Amino acid sequence: MFDPQLKEKVEELIAANPVLLFMKGTPEMPRCGFSMRVVQVLETIDVEYGAIDVLPALQPLRAVTSEISDWQTFPQLYVNGELLGGADIVEEMFESGELAEALGVEQPAVAAPQGGQAPPPQSPPLQIE
Amino acid sequence: MADLAEIEAMIAAALPGAAVEVVDETGAGDHLRATVAAPQFEGLSRIDQHRLVKAAVRARFDDGAIHALSVKTQVPE
Repeated sequence: MFDPQLKEKVEELIAANPVLLFMKGTPEMPRCGFSMRVVQVLETIDVEYGAIDVLPALQPLRAVTSEISDWQTFPQLYVNGELLGGADIVEEMFESGELAEALGVEQPAVAAPQGGQAPPPQSPPLQIE
Repeated sequence: MADLAEIEAMIAAALPGAAVEVVDETGAGDHLRATVAAPQFEGLSRIDQHRLVKAAVRARFDDGAIHALSVKTQVPE
């Protein structure tokens, strides 16, 4: 069972924040590796986002997101009101450039948030004088 | 502790024609990674593709056999 008032509040938050991350912990101090991976992607892509720590109300929020999005696990990234995915999907879409597209931003030059091999530096843009 | 062959069979039964591979990521049998290529994924968003896979094995989450399942989906070429 889910709490209808909490559901309403969550729906308001999703509607009010174009990019909203439900995570364990905070962006400054993630409390779960999967949440940390999504934060790293969002920081790398340099987009403004809202973050909600689910840990203080984990079970009630799980019940609500199950109801709203048919998704039980956290992190969950919502973009323009729709659940985009958890850590696996966010990373996959980041690497393919689909995430930047969905967020309406440019794909950053460095494609790996951590540990990955950085691509060769891009040649500077041509200048027209 | 999940039975990898059973998990593979559950996904394959839900998605006829799919190529399914499930591996044990930690050796403990409860953190699994599934790679699934299914014709049913055509035209679906990634989240919907993942929903199909997760729904197929929901019973093993509910009974505690699996704690975490990483999913990688693709549409077969």
